[in-house]
Amino acid sequence: MKLTRRNFLAWAGLSAVGAVACDVIQDEELSLQSPASLPEDLVKGRDNWYATLGGQATDGEGVIVRVMEGRAKKIQGNPKYPVNQGKQSVRSEAGLQALYHPDRISGPLQRTGPRGSGQYRSIQWEPEALDILRRELRARSQGMVLITEPLRGTLGMIADRFATSAGGRHLGFEALDDTTYRAAIKGVFDQDRLPDFDISNANYVISFGADFLSTWKGSTRLSTAYGEFRQGSKRQTQGSRGYLVHVDPRFSMTAANADEWLPIRPGMEGYLALSLAYVIISEGMQAEGVDVDALTDGQGAAALAAFAPEQIAGQLGIPEQLHEGKSAAEKIRDLASNFMHHGPSIALGGDSAGAHTNGQFNLMAIYALNYLAGTVGSGGGMRFSPGSALGNLPDAARVGSAQDWAGVANDIRSGRTRMVLVHDANPVHGLPASMAFESALNNEEVFIVSFSSFMDETTALADLILPDRVFLEGWGDDVPEPGPGYEVIGMQQPVVNPLSDLDPRSFGDILLSMAQEMGQESVLPWTSVEEALKAGVEALYNTGRGTSSHAASADDLWNMMLRQGGWWDENATGPAPNAPSGLLSDIAAQAREPGYSGSGDFYLLPFAHNTLMDGRLAHIPWMQGVPDPITTVTWQTWVELNSGTASQMGLREGDIVSVATDAGSISGVLYPNPALPPNVVAVPLGQGRKVGSEYATSGDSRESSNALDLLSAGHLTESGGLAWAGHRASVSGTGESLKIAKFEGIFPARQIGHTAGEAVIIVTNH
Amino acid sequence: MVVDLDRCNGCQACVIACQVENNLPINDKNAFLQNRAYEWIRIERYWEGDYPNIKARFIPVMCQHCENAPCEPVCPVFATYHNDEGLNVQIYNRCVGTRYCINNCPYQVRFFNYWHPNWPERLQNQLNPDVTVRTRGITEKCTFCIQRLRRGQIQVERRAGGELNDGTLKSGNHMPACVQACPTNALTFGDQNDVHSPVKPYFEDVNRYNIHHEKERKTRGYRVLEEMNTKPNVIYLKKVDPNLGGGHHG
Repeated sequence: MKLTRRNFLAWAGLSAVGAVACDVIQDEELSLQSPASLPEDLVKGRDNWYATLGGQATDGEGVIVRVMEGRAKKIQGNPKYPVNQGKQSVRSEAGLQALYHPDRISGPLQRTGPRGSGQYRSIQWEPEALDILRRELRARSQGMVLITEPLRGTLGMIADRFATSAGGRHLGFEALDDTTYRAAIKGVFDQDRLPDFDISNANYVISFGADFLSTWKGSTRLSTAYGEFRQGSKRQTQGSRGYLVHVDPRFSMTAANADEWLPIRPGMEGYLALSLAYVIISEGMQAEGVDVDALTDGQGAAALAAFAPEQIAGQLGIPEQLHEGKSAAEKIRDLASNFMHHGPSIALGGDSAGAHTNGQFNLMAIYALNYLAGTVGSGGGMRFSPGSALGNLPDAARVGSAQDWAGVANDIRSGRTRMVLVHDANPVHGLPASMAFESALNNEEVFIVSFSSFMDETTALADLILPDRVFLEGWGDDVPEPGPGYEVIGMQQPVVNPLSDLDPRSFGDILLSMAQEMGQESVLPWTSVEEALKAGVEALYNTGRGTSSHAASADDLWNMMLRQGGWWDENATGPAPNAPSGLLSDIAAQAREPGYSGSGDFYLLPFAHNTLMDGRLAHIPWMQGVPDPITTVTWQTWVELNSGTASQMGLREGDIVSVATDAGSISGVLYPNPALPPNVVAVPLGQGRKVGSEYATSGDSRESSNALDLLSAGHLTESGGLAWAGHRASVSGTGESLKIAKFEGIFPARQIGHTAGEAVIIVTNH
Repeated sequence: MVVDLDRCNGCQACVIACQVENNLPINDKNAFLQNRAYEWIRIERYWEGDYPNIKARFIPVMCQHCENAPCEPVCPVFATYHNDEGLNVQIYNRCVGTRYCINNCPYQVRFFNYWHPNWPERLQNQLNPDVTVRTRGITEKCTFCIQRLRRGQIQVERRAGGELNDGTLKSGNHMPACVQACPTNALTFGDQNDVHSPVKPYFEDVNRYNIHHEKERKTRGYRVLEEMNTKPNVIYLKKVDPNLGGGHHG
């Protein structure tokens, strides 16, 4: 051992206490070194930053990636990309660990044991793996299903065309699908694309259920707008801080940031929205120029008389303590008055508000308020982005509803579908166990090919595994949704090559080569995704608009797009829809109260995990180790109950509790949450993975459960989506307890206000 | 640095950006169970009130880079000291792990490496070569991403006539990783001596009116544990709650 200052001091210390314990101290523990282990002859070079897209974890944010010596080191928001403007979500860095994950599937695998046994043998891409794929496609492609993550852009187009031309269909998969939200937007605005919200210029926002600061669509973009909404430079000079009201039966991250949080009976959001509409119309508060007669078929406030605050306030379940000495009806009237008098105002809704048997009604009622506020298509209101600048690129991801997935399972069982291709989707984990999707796939009559880079519950059933490149290694593009209000096409380029011990191949390239061999050249004429992208860029160049107007040639435009991360045209703005005639009276006619599945004492509210989402990032250790913003719990499935309720039930933090519905039961570690309504039990999704990386599967069934197993597959919204927020559950202790893995309490909770004895965070009147 | 608590929404993007940039070990489940998980920047969540009139307040806490840093005089080997830019810096290969500094830090933002950092081999490819990996037995803390500031400095020095200021730091992508990541722009980093820096007015205001004249401040600025006179170089801007005391928004 070299005599260094550090060693000297360490040995001196040991001698002083008379300890002779040389074998306890290992050399490497006393040396400072970087496990980056760069070869000694390598001069530390300059870093390069490449613009690309942030992949599925970020819903397609534009990112820049720092690359040194051929290795990706850091992912950051792309300052030039119009959607996220240089900012990033907590999930953005997950891409790095996916890239260098120890559990990546290194090359093609063929099943050798019974389905689901996990017995595979390594095979070569050429000719073996591709021969098998070719052979099976020829024999079974009629009626096949291609299941992917929600896809837009060129890869979405390739997947659509491949599946259709082969005689099958392509469906995107998301555990908490957005079909009901889309149906509501279509119904209210006649638009196929999801809207953007100009929160930064709004003064008043009412959000119903949508956890838009955490996991809802476009959360990074909306968070940036939220910062401006609170303390943007214009606000500071004009003194007009934005005011946020959040209506939600669960205390979500957005609820935590709201100025007012209104807990409501789950599924009654639409009734509250129509009650607000009634007050606005009956008191003539609607924005100037709004034709109330057209909206109500000439009936005016009478069309909504059944929703007068005095009629329905008692059904909403808003706690009396929030009424500030007023009646519940007066509280609703105040809310309506503030919404109209402090504009520009936005009403937005999603997540649990749309996940009920009356979810589409709820969302339509909420979004119709924007017409009354007069902010549809204007500053500080809702706006729509135009469709894709290239007509052939899908600009909205087609995601299957629960009804669609039940249909797929039936088709597999009946033999109509004999081939399933899966890419970056895990329906076996992400669909309720009561749908029995796993048993449908666990069928020797069907041939399953997975293009996943990681083992998961669905991939483990595959006959053939053909690992794709992860997004930092592959080509692609995206038509962001929600967009920024104008035309954007984001560009994804490979920023690094796969490591030498990995042999993945591009999923898109494989589909293209298979299509050509099957004689589908007329539909998919390109030999690679890169070639398809270049064809798209040439078409973009010919438009002469936006970024193209600065390019000297199509090649020049290609290089510009790689440099800045995409193409955009700020002048190509979206439509400003007009209200369909009779909208409010039609919505009122559809009103019905939510139906709940089961009969337990509690309303069950599952929710997407802040970092693991629905479980798609459970294999990423960084995502597991980031504390939940509200509970600070990590690595485990926790069950939130109101602190007082838990105490009445004799339950304490860390107790293992069982949550049961008619469809199933799960276990989790109790976290008493002082902010949860006493009649609600909330459980995050994300854990409960049974197959795959150790990071995802290390917890035992007491502390790692899949909340989707509690849901009834047949409990649906009007548009066929899963009514995942409309269940009742019972909760009971199991007598066991575990230490909860949470961040709270690791550091002594000293008061960190600026004077002793004052509140932790100083709150003042503004 | 200035932290606007009215913008912060508690999303944790700064936490993960810091972990990636600074080669922090993965906080596995055991680290949490043994109360030894650490983050150079953390989001603390505090409850205020009772259901249903309850609020969760978020506050990002990182090393406050105090002018009168209580961690500095207690280090027996001068591993922690104040540099001429006002940063409280830690020299890892001087540290012998007495933990006196951790004990003396009122903000609890210094961390001891109880374990040798361990990454699966393939994940080591991601480690930032600009930042050393700290071994077991030494203390570490937020550096305001000094490696990024240095890169900015080097880049400016290469250019004739260049000047390192808030503008060049930002345009050159050299802001601390948490500042760059923060989706709500709650974190602002800058040079207090730069007349154009957005942080300057807040420092001027808080310095002009000390804790005894705090009510005279023109901004929402305050320092945490100000009464200890550690003079942090991080100013917090108060959260605004229009409903407190029966007020109304507008």
